[in-house]
Amino acid sequence: MTNWTLFAPELFMLAAAGLFFALSLARPQPARDFAAAMVVAAIGLSLTVWAVGAEGVLFAGTYRVDLFSQVFKVLISAGFFLVICLCGDLSGVADKRHSEFYLLLAVCTLALMLLTSCVHLLAIYLALELSSYSLYILVCLRRGREKGLESGLKYFIIGACASALMLFGFALLYGTGMSLHLADLARELPGRLHEPVVLIGFVLGLSGFLFKIAAFPFHFWAPEVYEAAPHQAGAYIATVSKAGGIAVLLRITAAAGAGGDQLVGFLMVVSVASMTLGNLAAIAQQDLKRLLAFSSVAHAGYVMVAILSFNAMGLSSGVFYAMSLLVMKLTCFMIVIQVSAGGNNIRINDLAGLHRQAPVLAAALMLALFSLAGIPPTIGFTAKLLVFTAAAENGYLWLVIVAMANVVISLYYYLRVLKAAYFLEPEDSASPVRVPAPMNFLALVLIFFTVAAGIYPQPFIAAARALTHALIG
Amino acid sequence: MQLHSAQFPVLSLILLVCLAGLAAVVLLPAEKKQAVKYVSAVCSAVTLGLSVYVFVAYDRALGGMQFVEHLQWAPSLGISYINGVDGFAAPLLLLTGIVFFTGVLTMWEHDLRVKEFFAMFILLVTGVFGMFMALDLFFLFVWYDVSLFPMYLLIVIWGSTNREYGAMKLTLFLLAGSALILPGIVYLVAESGMGTFSLPALVNQADFSPFVQKLAFFLFYVGFGILAGVWPFHTWSPAGHVAAPTAVSMLHAGVLMKIGAFGILRVGMFLCPEGWAFWAPVMALLATIGILYGALAGLRQTDLKFVIGYSSVSHMGVVGLGLATMTVDGVNGAVFQMFAHGVMTALFFSAVGYIYDKTHEREFANLGGLSHVMPVAGGYFILAALTGIGVPCLASFWAELLVLLAAFDAYPVYGVVAVTALAINALFILRVVEKTCFGPVNPKWEHLPDVSFGLGLPRLVLAGVIVIFGIMPFLMYETIQSASMLLISGLP
Repeated sequence: MTNWTLFAPELFMLAAAGLFFALSLARPQPARDFAAAMVVAAIGLSLTVWAVGAEGVLFAGTYRVDLFSQVFKVLISAGFFLVICLCGDLSGVADKRHSEFYLLLAVCTLALMLLTSCVHLLAIYLALELSSYSLYILVCLRRGREKGLESGLKYFIIGACASALMLFGFALLYGTGMSLHLADLARELPGRLHEPVVLIGFVLGLSGFLFKIAAFPFHFWAPEVYEAAPHQAGAYIATVSKAGGIAVLLRITAAAGAGGDQLVGFLMVVSVASMTLGNLAAIAQQDLKRLLAFSSVAHAGYVMVAILSFNAMGLSSGVFYAMSLLVMKLTCFMIVIQVSAGGNNIRINDLAGLHRQAPVLAAALMLALFSLAGIPPTIGFTAKLLVFTAAAENGYLWLVIVAMANVVISLYYYLRVLKAAYFLEPEDSASPVRVPAPMNFLALVLIFFTVAAGIYPQPFIAAARALTHALIG
Repeated sequence: MQLHSAQFPVLSLILLVCLAGLAAVVLLPAEKKQAVKYVSAVCSAVTLGLSVYVFVAYDRALGGMQFVEHLQWAPSLGISYINGVDGFAAPLLLLTGIVFFTGVLTMWEHDLRVKEFFAMFILLVTGVFGMFMALDLFFLFVWYDVSLFPMYLLIVIWGSTNREYGAMKLTLFLLAGSALILPGIVYLVAESGMGTFSLPALVNQADFSPFVQKLAFFLFYVGFGILAGVWPFHTWSPAGHVAAPTAVSMLHAGVLMKIGAFGILRVGMFLCPEGWAFWAPVMALLATIGILYGALAGLRQTDLKFVIGYSSVSHMGVVGLGLATMTVDGVNGAVFQMFAHGVMTALFFSAVGYIYDKTHEREFANLGGLSHVMPVAGGYFILAALTGIGVPCLASFWAELLVLLAAFDAYPVYGVVAVTALAINALFILRVVEKTCFGPVNPKWEHLPDVSFGLGLPRLVLAGVIVIFGIMPFLMYETIQSASMLLISGLP
């Protein structure tokens, strides 16, 4: 007898998608669609919070509801809610497409929720594809930009390649006589990782998730997609979609036990290449969203440090990192949305004068940038400290030093953004930035989280620890 | 490491006063410039009072860590909030209080984006205070970085000569330093196997192998050494000093560079004594090169701020040389020098700042005869210069004397080189004083006003401190001695 209450948040998201579909058939009314989306997102968030304690197994053991999945669902729906909050000014998308925009966001959120709970490789594959397909279309919804289509196609092709490799990997694993159930995999995999077929199968199987978090060598889509997508879709990809990717990556790698030298070596290459490439490429960017995209690639590298540690600390630091990315990247995109007029892209120097026109936003941006760079006392620092502690426990001191060297590189371009916001003065022709009061309030909330988790991280770390226990028992 | 708990959490009170001041400044509307200045002045005066109290109330006979506060913070990660002050930290807290107070007063006529300036300034000072009193490696690192990152905006927005370059260089250099410190901390914590960031626990109980100590000490030495201006990592320092506004230069050369040296002492030497012994000859060599290099490079400078910037490299070399001797006298001298150089540089920058504000000229060849035009301002400048060259009865004299005596014993060759370099530097500084303050008056400056009493007050305070500790060095010496005896006698 299936206990459907366990599945309530997902069912609700499905119903929400149905609602937006119905709205998309009616006459377009942006205000109505936005109000509906806010209500739906708020209810979705409260439902996931309500469901935190739930535990159980559904669908013949392929779907597991535990603390890990439930907290990630809270993160995902919180991110969904915040992105919807930013949709008040959805001028990057044509009015008649607003309901479709929300429809696709809801479907993607549903898919990401499924992703955090799936414990069967094929189910994971299905959930991953569902989320990716909604994103492919979301990227193309940008008003009047041919580039939207082009980047959507690029996103799709790279995604399809990654999926193909992933399926091939799963097939190899299955061919060696292993089950596709993660629980069975966790018993057999650690002992057999030295076998070439198993190792190659597992590594190929990871490619879909590396694509999701924009890690090397599946990062090529990030700059184009961030640049061309509507700002809100970019925010969603940078935060919520990443959280889902990190969640499933943690679940899968937890099955690999202590890893083994070859696997760790491979992941180290991925990690160091992602962070170095991302940071070096970001230096050259003028478009703020492209810069954020490359910084995402770099952050995928830091996340990989957490994952390749293959210890409890690494898993909890991965959880914490997903949370910190959500806060930091969302703040940055909020500034992009507020500063850009008519949903256009902005260059770094367009931030000039922000400190006078919108002091709260400027302060939020400053903290978010320092947080992205990993400077205390911010949530980003705590995340990096946890990740580095995990790596140091395994004796990867050199990796920590390489990562910190990358932090210094990244600081260069973050400081350029900061300089634009605090030091440059706008040209006369530029229209002043006007910030609605709810946005200022949201900025204050984000500032609070950024600083609170930097100064007093105990509750967040304890939560991440609890999640890890749920994952590895 | 002995801990003596505080009756009353005076150390946290210092931080709280700073944070309250910061909050008040942030909440005040930007137009109320006078109010912002008064709030900052009150905040700095109270912290100065508290730091004087800590310095005076510190029990020298008892020694060890005093005023210790302990609070569980993030037990799942082994982080606790521990503050404490020993004979090394007490003088530096006093120094911070003095430079904070005088720095705020120095910027009294400052008029550009006042609110943001003082907010950043107070934030920076909070980090410095926190760093000097923190006994938990997590907090120590957090405060360390908090004291660095406001620097970028302080220089870019309010700075002068080549500020964008200077600010970026400074920030990247200093953060590169913390890029070595954090791995060092994480490495030691992981190697200890104790899962704690608490410094007293690690010092008393952890048993690090010699290899671990050598590696970690290297990371700390280079990481903190960048901030301490150790040659060859000093290049950010003159460029940054020149670009920064007066009060920031004061704080920066006066206090921030000491954070670097203090970090080497507090983290490196307390936790990795064997690493200290292993790297001491290298430290001595680099310090001596720094002294010589600073002195010689100073000879080529024509800009007053560059002159002071390079002499700072030289004087911080003295600190490094003292620490490298691994003797009680050497360490005493090094910490004394941190204090004395801090006050001296603050006075120097503050005097130059006044001259620059009035003349918009820092090329000393274009100045001249200022002692006739503004005798008081010239007097402060001369006093700072004399302290800098180590004239007896001024604070720096005792500090340099102690270090050089210890160095002659431990590293005779370096000692001789250092004395020669300091002598060259002294002659040069005297020439700078001559060109700036004496000689024919440049007619352009004839009508300039002298320092008013209000603006003179901060300089007077600094000058007073220099003279008091110059005449009564034992006030400082005995406090430092109580900590250095324990540190040196605890060496393996």
